[in-house]
Amino acid sequence: MRTTIGLTAIAAAATLALTACGGSSTSGSAPQNAPAGEGGDVTVTLTADGCQPQPSSISSGAVNFKVSNKDAGAVTEAELMSGGQMLGEQENLTPGLDGGFSLELAKGDYQIYCPGAKKDHWDFHVTGDATKSWKDNPALVTATTDYGKWVVDQVNQLVTGTKAFADAVKAGDTAKASVAYGQARVFYEKVEPVAEIWGDLDKNIDGRADDFDNPADFKGFHKIEQSLFEARKLDGMGPVADELVTNVTKLQQLVAKATYQPAEIANGATELIDEIQKSKVTGEEERYSHIDLLDFKGNLDGSMEAFTVLLPALQKNAPDVAKAVQDRAAAVTAALKQYEQSPGYLNTGYVDYSTVSKDQQKTLSQAVNALGEAMSKVAAKVSQ
Amino acid sequence: MTPALSRRRMLSGLGALGVGGLVAADTTLTAANAASTSQVVPFWADHQAGITTPQQDRLTFAAFDVITKDRNELVGLLKTWTAAADAMTKGHQVPGGASDLQAPPSDTGEADGLTPGNLTVTIGFGTSLFDDRFGLAAKKPKALTPLPKLAPENLDPAYTNGDLCIQACADDPQVTFHAVRNLARLGAGIVVLRWMQLGFGRTASTSSAQATPRNLMGFKDGTRNLRAEQTDLIDQNVWVGEETDQAWLRGGSYLVARRIRMYIETWDRDYLADQQNVFGRYKNSGAPLGGSDEFDTPNLGSSDIPDDAHIRLASPEHNGGIHLLRRGYSFTDGTDSTGNLLGGLFFIAFMKDPKQFVTVQKALAADALNEYIQHIGSGLFACPPGVAPGQFWGQGLFT
Repeated sequence: MRTTIGLTAIAAAATLALTACGGSSTSGSAPQNAPAGEGGDVTVTLTADGCQPQPSSISSGAVNFKVSNKDAGAVTEAELMSGGQMLGEQENLTPGLDGGFSLELAKGDYQIYCPGAKKDHWDFHVTGDATKSWKDNPALVTATTDYGKWVVDQVNQLVTGTKAFADAVKAGDTAKASVAYGQARVFYEKVEPVAEIWGDLDKNIDGRADDFDNPADFKGFHKIEQSLFEARKLDGMGPVADELVTNVTKLQQLVAKATYQPAEIANGATELIDEIQKSKVTGEEERYSHIDLLDFKGNLDGSMEAFTVLLPALQKNAPDVAKAVQDRAAAVTAALKQYEQSPGYLNTGYVDYSTVSKDQQKTLSQAVNALGEAMSKVAAKVSQ
Repeated sequence: MTPALSRRRMLSGLGALGVGGLVAADTTLTAANAASTSQVVPFWADHQAGITTPQQDRLTFAAFDVITKDRNELVGLLKTWTAAADAMTKGHQVPGGASDLQAPPSDTGEADGLTPGNLTVTIGFGTSLFDDRFGLAAKKPKALTPLPKLAPENLDPAYTNGDLCIQACADDPQVTFHAVRNLARLGAGIVVLRWMQLGFGRTASTSSAQATPRNLMGFKDGTRNLRAEQTDLIDQNVWVGEETDQAWLRGGSYLVARRIRMYIETWDRDYLADQQNVFGRYKNSGAPLGGSDEFDTPNLGSSDIPDDAHIRLASPEHNGGIHLLRRGYSFTDGTDSTGNLLGGLFFIAFMKDPKQFVTVQKALAADALNEYIQHIGSGLFACPPGVAPGQFWGQGLFT
């Protein structure tokens, strides 16, 4: 997840650009309705005479072109042109077929072009300014506020859990520390993309041995994990635990003041799914403790929380994307369920990941991959 | 002249607007030079491209398992794949836009700037697709039954079967990989990759305009292969016709893929006379033993060609007149666990009935070549006929 400052700059650039958004000539997705004053629907009927757009002028924003061919044998496509360049099209409409495409259009003069018709260029105008902010959408404002509160709550629990873990480490109680380890970490796994906003904080809390050129710099959760589960002793881990508490407390202070943009939240949701695929399914992240399935669940929960706060806005813009994410998430949940155990390995609620075979890992990975592909479409749709 | 109708160049004029490349490319293409368009193999045709069209030098082959239980999702994917394959064949990007900063580009982008490369994308349906998941059991052709055990084989399940296959061929390996990668991505949640094979050099010719290439054993392979120009033999041996019990498959074909390992190190230690006896051809000229020109008809009545020579046992004369249309590729996947080269021939052949392959392969059980090869992967797929605009791959299966 990028910093808020970075994202704002990107969003401004995107508003200036004339953006093709989904629903292209061949994707076959149904055009979505946009409210008045923010683009809208334009009907284009192909006939032997031409392809007059109705209406011929519309306000800027998301414009959905609904193209149909009643009976024109020779005219089978409509293209949106600007300055001789094609921006979008619907091809291959033989008589009786209809289709469409959607574009984010800025103010300007355009033409609808239907090769083969008696009059093949028809004027089309877009008026007004394309500038609108997600802050105009109450559903998105609520989403960002709710997400911020949720993050604060998770990080509070992270701090509490990390302190308990540090106490057990300093007391040299390996049994207690082994259980407390996962109980603290899972809260970090839920909000990891947020923590990554602040430079080295993520590396110092959650870095792995291979992230450091100098082995002496290795610190944080995984340093203690290595000592606890590989060397099976906690000698010298007291200062590491103290520094970990300091770092998660720093995170607590930072998130208390942080704000989020909808696209950031959505892209963070995708990053959490990618985290599962890259480092949990492979067993790489918890290579000493093998509590990867608990991390997996943490990433998944964090991703779904981000998705859930955005859902009301997403339902309106792109119900098909929302449904795809829900379906794929259900498949991941079902795939994960068979590894549930009570109280489970180290009280994680799951089995020891080292007992999960390569074939089983492959099945998990494929379900996660499908969810990630669906989730990656949310950010653009929710910020429309 | 190097025509190089670069996608990057076509898009450069649009850069400031950041509009997705697919649709923009079309208009430029019509005005572009003819040499570039000659790199586009028509997608919409009576038969699928990639069967009798001239064989390209590079291959990416992939087999998929369908994981959805929803027939509508499968149909939706086939529609999406058809549109994407059509676009990529033309050298365009996968439809859907590439300029939204908050969305991943719909095309993965690694073929941007490359020429279309004569890309063909061919689909096939495996036996396993016709179970009870999608209501296709009644549409299963009688001829589409799993292949029997065929020596010399020791099949690895990780390189065998699949519900669907995609054969992507082009003059550039990046173009073929791009095609399969993007189709796999579009299929996320509906299909998963089961196995995949890259091929780096064609080992057959499907047009008389092409010279006969050599396989990794250094021999000309496919001298007697069917050529597209032999239309009568193609009709008799390749295209499924009225004889099938399934109307949806007429105009299609069957694809047999065999991942054939060559024991390269031991082959390379075999003396030349024996190598030539194994194939039944001279290594240098490719002529049949006893002949002088590569295209001389082998004199199978002569003892110049040993009884167990590959050329004899594989010949139509030895197999009741059966021909196969071969489109194989050389492959290597590095080394095996013992440090030997892992590579050989990724055999692909098209035929109107899989029995043709079974017959020939059974005859090859006595092949002298078997000392140096083993079949280690296998797939059998029914390839539907070509598609017309507005249709999708395999539409007849679902209507």
